Amino acid sequence: MSDSTPPSWDPDLEPRLTLGQKLDRTARHLLPSAFIVLVIIFFSAPLAIPGSAELLSAIVIGSVFFWSVWRPTGMPALAPFLLGLFMDLVGFTPLGVSSFILLLVYGISTYARFGLMRMNFLVVWFLYGLIGGAASLLQWALACLFRLHGLDPAPAFFEALLCIGVYPLLSATFSWFLHILDEKESA
Amino acid sequence: MIPVSIQVRQALGKLVLPVLLLLSVGIIIAGQADRRLADTARMYVADALAPLWGLIAHTQTDVSHLVQGVKDARHLAEENAKLQTENAKLRRWYDVAVSLARENDNLKTELHWVPEPTPAFVTGRVVADSGGMYARAVLLVAGTTSGVHVGNVALATNGLAGRVTEVGPHAARVLLITDIASRLPIELESSHATAIMAGDNSPMPRLMYYPQDSRPIEGERVVTSDQASAFPMGLPIGTVHYLHPGQPVVQPFVQLDKLTMLRVFDFGQSEIEPPDAPGHVPLTRPHRPLALPFKTLLGQGQEG
Repeated sequence: MSDSTPPSWDPDLEPRLTLGQKLDRTARHLLPSAFIVLVIIFFSAPLAIPGSAELLSAIVIGSVFFWSVWRPTGMPALAPFLLGLFMDLVGFTPLGVSSFILLLVYGISTYARFGLMRMNFLVVWFLYGLIGGAASLLQWALACLFRLHGLDPAPAFFEALLCIGVYPLLSATFSWFLHILDEKESA
Repeated sequence: MIPVSIQVRQALGKLVLPVLLLLSVGIIIAGQADRRLADTARMYVADALAPLWGLIAHTQTDVSHLVQGVKDARHLAEENAKLQTENAKLRRWYDVAVSLARENDNLKTELHWVPEPTPAFVTGRVVADSGGMYARAVLLVAGTTSGVHVGNVALATNGLAGRVTEVGPHAARVLLITDIASRLPIELESSHATAIMAGDNSPMPRLMYYPQDSRPIEGERVVTSDQASAFPMGLPIGTVHYLHPGQPVVQPFVQLDKLTMLRVFDFGQSEIEPPDAPGHVPLTRPHRPLALPFKTLLGQGQEG
């Protein structure tokens, strides 16, 4: 892409990036999405884990929330869309439902990110619990709508609880990851 | 890249999310409208991911095997001690068996025992639960070319399975002891009482005509009897079991629904001709009429 622009005109006053730096930056940007893709593939495999479908949704929603609050460069708007579509293709939810829900989660968290970043972890967790619960509820409501009759709400409730329960673990893991990445950057 | 101003770029950036939301709603509607398209897309994705899933599942089974192995290893010492005591016990039984065999040999020598002829046998693979006229019969790949004859006895690894009823050049049909047409004389091993074991197409044939003063005992071994000269004595069949009070059945040693191989023995029973006894009226052999069942269908008056 740098070859197509004439070398005399450069809109940014940054030094040109080397190939290694470019790769490094791309890898950083793609890291969350790649993680989520791996999680989706892993949990959609025929595993003997009970409740793996609910756990998958919980992990994906939590990851999208975390990255769009703390590092939106790693989570562009296209990522939740494509991840949701992939999830729907692999799972048995109607096509596009997960994309829709993940985009809503993404939109809310990017909208509120400057407020959320200043808050205590427990408050963030609580707010995330609200978002996760709402996402589970929405998923259940959409499923009911497409099946045209009321489904058992127990799995949705279970998923909301998993959403809330799995977040501290995800948050700790990702924070540690971010810490390592930032240390590397400064070094 | 088209050079655009920062304001336009920001405005476009803000538009991305609503556009994607609309797009996802569109996909939802399209997926509902044309389900076949969605299913085809799903199949493509599943096809592409199948090797990965296979790898994950394989790893999972490997890990569970490993965990199981570690769990087993904890009980290794315990199991070893148990096996050692069992081995000592078996060693004692081995000595007992050897001494008994030697004693048996000695006694037979003392008595000038005429050794029984070793029966000839052929082994064949069970190929089919054949149709034919029987409900419980199997087809064996061994026929007259291998020396199988009608009336030969078919044994599985641990007991009697049935009798050869029809034989072709390369195949033989074996009527199992559970078939409704199968009735054979048996002996209850502990009381030496004779009875008839009649199949009824269920897995456990019934016991009939046992003497009323010595009833079959639960768990008693049932062996063949040489009455009617159809079988040699003492082939193991099964154990007595009471399904209901007063209704003894035989639980066969052989798993008759999972037969793979059968050994067909020619005990040569029919060749034992009793010597002529001068002065006695020669009796007709009791089992001869059994060989021709049509005679019983004909009336008594037409025979003579």
